[in-house]
Amino acid sequence: MEGQDRKEQDSAPSLSRRDFVATSAASAAAAALFATGNYAYAQGSDRIRVGVIGCGGRGTGAAMNAMLSARGVEIVALGDLFKDRLDGCLNHLRDTVKNADLLKQAPDLASRLKVTPERCFTGFDNYQKVLAAGVDMVILATPPGFRPIHLKAAVEAGKHVFMEKPVAVDGPGIRSVLASAELAAQKKLGIVAGTQRRHQNNYRETIKRLHGGAIGKILGGQVFWNQGGLWKHDRRPGESDMEYQIRNWLYYTWLSGDHIVEQHVHNLDVANWVLQAHPVQCVGMGGRQTRTGPEYGHIFDHFAVDYEYPNGVRVLSMCRQQDGTDSNVSERFVGSNGDTNAAGYIGGANAWNFSGPNPDPYTQEHSDLIASIRAGNPLNEGRQVAESTLTAIMGRMSAYTGKVVRWEQALNSQESLVPTTFQFGPLPTPPVAMPGKTELR
Amino acid sequence: MIPLPAGVVRQAKAAWIGKCEVTWNEYDLYAAGIGKTGAVANPKADAVSKPSHPYGAPDRGWGKDGMPAISITYQAARRYCEWLSHKTGRVYRLPTEAEWEAACRANDSEPGDIDAVAWHAGNAGGRTHPVGQKQANAWGIHDMLGNVWEWCLTKDAKGAVRGGSYRDAASAIGFRARAVYSPDWQSTDPQIPKSKWWLSDAPFVGFRVVHVE
Repeated sequence: MEGQDRKEQDSAPSLSRRDFVATSAASAAAAALFATGNYAYAQGSDRIRVGVIGCGGRGTGAAMNAMLSARGVEIVALGDLFKDRLDGCLNHLRDTVKNADLLKQAPDLASRLKVTPERCFTGFDNYQKVLAAGVDMVILATPPGFRPIHLKAAVEAGKHVFMEKPVAVDGPGIRSVLASAELAAQKKLGIVAGTQRRHQNNYRETIKRLHGGAIGKILGGQVFWNQGGLWKHDRRPGESDMEYQIRNWLYYTWLSGDHIVEQHVHNLDVANWVLQAHPVQCVGMGGRQTRTGPEYGHIFDHFAVDYEYPNGVRVLSMCRQQDGTDSNVSERFVGSNGDTNAAGYIGGANAWNFSGPNPDPYTQEHSDLIASIRAGNPLNEGRQVAESTLTAIMGRMSAYTGKVVRWEQALNSQESLVPTTFQFGPLPTPPVAMPGKTELR
Repeated sequence: MIPLPAGVVRQAKAAWIGKCEVTWNEYDLYAAGIGKTGAVANPKADAVSKPSHPYGAPDRGWGKDGMPAISITYQAARRYCEWLSHKTGRVYRLPTEAEWEAACRANDSEPGDIDAVAWHAGNAGGRTHPVGQKQANAWGIHDMLGNVWEWCLTKDAKGAVRGGSYRDAASAIGFRARAVYSPDWQSTDPQIPKSKWWLSDAPFVGFRVVHVE
């Protein structure tokens, strides 16, 4: 996390656009690429036109990351449920592309922001309009509950995708994401997810060594995201349940999946990555001690989950959002031959510490996606992030019900948390889950 | 607080500087409303804008009790002083660079063995340490050098940090050591706009206060 120079990445330094067209036109890969309609880069333009769906702070940040990630990446369309959020995003982007420090990295930065009023869309159907606005790629950064719907529409429309984590809040959503990821692979569309540790050099270099046996056979580990509470918005006069919940999306499982899914997914993703597997089953517990008021919806404020991976490997997971408590955001694994924090430290027989450049992973994830698209071999992280998200969901299901939850139970769960229709109006807050009483579905 | 000799703070009857860097115990009274101040409620103090809730752990998991408050922006440090002034009915603010430098130099007294007075890259193990553990300088002030860079007031709106930190080599810390905000200090803040309150990538920045009469 140490600050590093964030230099603009040239996605294909050794390959001019003319070379790319000349070499790839002859290849079968290119034929497949053109057959699916992704021929924008062969038509005399290597611009990648991006639409942003979900214009909060992260969507706005991701839009800047995309513009800075490589030459020729343009933000051309914006979509958000709320006009005030969309306007705020556009204003911040217009200010930020004039930032002197960023202009040193990308002198033509201002010209990469090509949003026009005709390509700004609000309302629940904004994503459909963004997808129809002549974009090559979309950034999906709405609250997670909408992600499966938006991903499906984007892949069906033939768009590359950058999507924030988590990517669903329930079993049906995960199954949808897995199907969309498969369809994207068939259509040669890229999907990169906002589990940015996967694009962070200190993690990549360490985990590469772990996979090479640096700490021997990995026996177990612990993963943590313990911190204080997060933001909330006061209810405004006349605001419907639907609007209030979406503006306070952290506190409703149909929108965030609860904080184990929304936030702790990062650390669980590291566990799956290190162990090259997803859990077989888990048993979790948790509750709601410090955030008990209705302004905090119905989610928990702490979880502890014991995950069992193949071959009996166990990972203890803890996450907490309680003010005034000690913080810990980290991972640790122990092997037959040493230990590691997965993030630059390896102890034991093959002791090693990471050193070297560690570019901002939030920009790097876009650089990697854009480079892979331009190389005609797009990254597809859909399955990987769906599995990490389901790992978190099964932990929540176990903590909510008090039952052991097997992977297949979570994957095949019929419990759909997301409303079937979206309109501003009444939407009751579900009861707080009660282990032993809340049913596993 | 340590009294400063006359003349260090201009146009003040008397002045004091924090014996130690501001700790999380002190900062969280303001930032998170955690703990008891013992002071009477003051609507003006309550009206001072409060830091946002950080997504993550600004203390880097190094702990809070007795540890210097870190990852703090210039604005946040100044707001803390404003809050503290309302809360106590006395005037607190950041030191100016000249004041900070005078307090650091302590009449140009012999600074002593660097390992005895400062946490630096050679002895800190890559992290901050509880305030006040190292030997005080000739005026009785701890950690002016090393541990965390400390915000000082400047004539422009940007502020400057002085003194060096746990991640700087012993040779790089000293009363002249100075840095200003760099975008690198927030390079991994994933939101736009970036936080006005928290420096996602600068766990080496904290502050201390002065009190003037």
